[in-house]
Amino acid sequence: MRMVLRPGPDDLKLIGYYLGKVLLGLGVIMLLPAVVALIAREWNAATAFIIGASLCLIMAGVSDAKLATNRSLTWAHGMVIVAVAWLVGTIFAAVPLMLSGRFETPLAAIFEVMSALTTTGMSVIHDLDHQPLSENFFRHLLQFAGGQGIIIVVLSLFISGGAQAGTLYAAEARDERILPNFIRTARFIFAVAGTFLVVGTLALFGALTLTGFTPTRAFYHAINLFFSTFDTGGFSPMQASMAYYHSLGVELVVMVLMIAGTLSFGLHFALWRGEPRNLLRHLETRTLAVTSTLFFGALAAGLILAGTYDSAAIVFRKGFFTLISAVSSTGHQVNPGVTYLTDWGVLAPAAIVGAMAIGGMASSTAGGIKAIRVGIAFKALTHDIRRILLPESAITVTTYSTGRRQVLRDATARSAMTVLLLFIVTFLLGTVVALLYGSYDLTEALFEAVSVGSNIGISIGIVDPLMPQGLMLIYTVMMWLGRLEYVAVFALWGYLIAIARGRTHA
Amino acid sequence: MNLSMLRLLSIPVLILVAIIAGANLLDGAAPKLDLDVAVDVTPPALDLVPRCVGENDQTLIQATRIQFPRGGRVTSDQLFNCPRAFDQLYVTYVGEVVGELINRRGGVWAQVNDDPYALIHGPLVGHSAHVGFNSGIAVWFPDGTHEIIDVIGRPATRGDVVEITGTFLRADPRDGGGITLRAETVTVIAEGFTVKEPLHTAQLVVAVVLFAGALGAIIAAQSARRRR
Repeated sequence: MRMVLRPGPDDLKLIGYYLGKVLLGLGVIMLLPAVVALIAREWNAATAFIIGASLCLIMAGVSDAKLATNRSLTWAHGMVIVAVAWLVGTIFAAVPLMLSGRFETPLAAIFEVMSALTTTGMSVIHDLDHQPLSENFFRHLLQFAGGQGIIIVVLSLFISGGAQAGTLYAAEARDERILPNFIRTARFIFAVAGTFLVVGTLALFGALTLTGFTPTRAFYHAINLFFSTFDTGGFSPMQASMAYYHSLGVELVVMVLMIAGTLSFGLHFALWRGEPRNLLRHLETRTLAVTSTLFFGALAAGLILAGTYDSAAIVFRKGFFTLISAVSSTGHQVNPGVTYLTDWGVLAPAAIVGAMAIGGMASSTAGGIKAIRVGIAFKALTHDIRRILLPESAITVTTYSTGRRQVLRDATARSAMTVLLLFIVTFLLGTVVALLYGSYDLTEALFEAVSVGSNIGISIGIVDPLMPQGLMLIYTVMMWLGRLEYVAVFALWGYLIAIARGRTHA
Repeated sequence: MNLSMLRLLSIPVLILVAIIAGANLLDGAAPKLDLDVAVDVTPPALDLVPRCVGENDQTLIQATRIQFPRGGRVTSDQLFNCPRAFDQLYVTYVGEVVGELINRRGGVWAQVNDDPYALIHGPLVGHSAHVGFNSGIAVWFPDGTHEIIDVIGRPATRGDVVEITGTFLRADPRDGGGITLRAETVTVIAEGFTVKEPLHTAQLVVAVVLFAGALGAIIAAQSARRRR
């Protein structure tokens, strides 16, 4: 460790300066629900948002005035900024919720915001069905901001120089640079989201209006549902989640948006340019197609064996929606969580756990281990088997497509396996901690740990406003780890050790 | 680690702690209302319905079905804990209508909650009874039953509390397999009302002060940028 250079005050100032930029973005975001609160005459909610936004803007102003620097960002800076930004941003964004009276402890409000920003979608809110409109809008808006990536939001709006921003972009688990410039990539991602925002909200509005909602309420539900669906978040304006709507039309639009949300932005770019063949050749598409087919088969078989539904149409409607919700890591539910335990048998929940663990595509808003890693791990395994079976002199080359054909290298396989293993270890740790409380059985503990650790949000009932605070804290950390896919958090840990024990500059 | 580094690191931590503590303090100082809105309802027909977990709970399911009196009151928790025990039984259910009446041909869908906010404490406004999630079931009200519902539960509004008799369906084929209650009779047993949330004056003052501070910080940052 003595070989590592100890970061100096200038490094911390640089990190503080960029954190200020992130808080500036959050402050601006918080002003939107403040406006909604003023329009809806929700005065206490309005003052809560003004307090939250003001705190962010004060910190942003102070950091801009006192910490501004022309120093360049290193990769270490970028990693640390992103890891800390997700923590600090969560605490600042939790302020209006702490003031809402709907969370028993500050930790519960922090959990809710971490769940929103990481697009997990687990909630610990008391009395959601009577929540002020502006607060509910804020929860959903946070899913949009978090799904797009807080850093992306900041890059798009507040940073003009692209060269420095790449490290922040990649550190936020977005390693796919679609366009030559990071800022242009970030703005492309925003453009995709903006287009879907208009089209998706209109489609939901239409479906809700046809399903019997008044236009005003249809618009309110549509905008909130869009935020939580396209960004694979899973919050819902009502506690009953998707079961509230009683509409196949709404479910179909939501499914399309969930699938769109789980596609990587690289594939969106390919589709944008009229290159659908990329979608079909992509390793992630193929991995998801195979795993989803297998899991859907298991889920449907489970529902039939358990006698949950006696009609194939219902098995398909309930099963397919739940599978898409799990794979895309959205977490919308079509029935109360506890009924996965009390009415869905054993095989169907197990299939959901498997689908949740894999999650969606890398460089999308989806969570989970990610299809690319599972695909690479499988390719590496088959590569090794082929190497054993072929003569020693044979040269084996394995390739895969991620928009362009790539040769599978040891380093790539090792990196994918490492993150895959870290996810599995996190799932197991989360399961063990829940079991230690003695109130949950293995199915519940494993289901919830995978859902939280993969940032999915389908709950079997452990996550609850009255859950143990210790478990709530562990789940909060798991959501943070899952969203950043470990690397940035480990970099932060290393940075802290370097501060404490590193070698001083010559 | 030298002293200046320690100071640099401790300042943001202290700021975060102060923000959390301040927000908690301010939340605790919110004005309270003295609401007495509990609804008098008959207790559930069965005291306890254990969870039917797995596929080997046929005994529990059969025992519950035998014990349950026709038209007895059930709660949503009981229904979700063991849906098969009540499937297609005639039940009584009491709860608050929330969200909206979703108009369809021949009737309306509505979410009817029977959690403590619906039946005991009222909406979480002006009190601090933190009693968990909302809980309720979807009810199909055929035409001729829903017209008496006047107030729907919304922010700061408790909807009408209704007593419904009807058939519970674990997997309603007319709702794509949803868990529903098909209402036959509906009675409003407590009319809805809106709670006027008292203005949190201290929070308003803090908001004004911090907003002024934010404007000052932005102006200071701009002038610092001009100097650079």
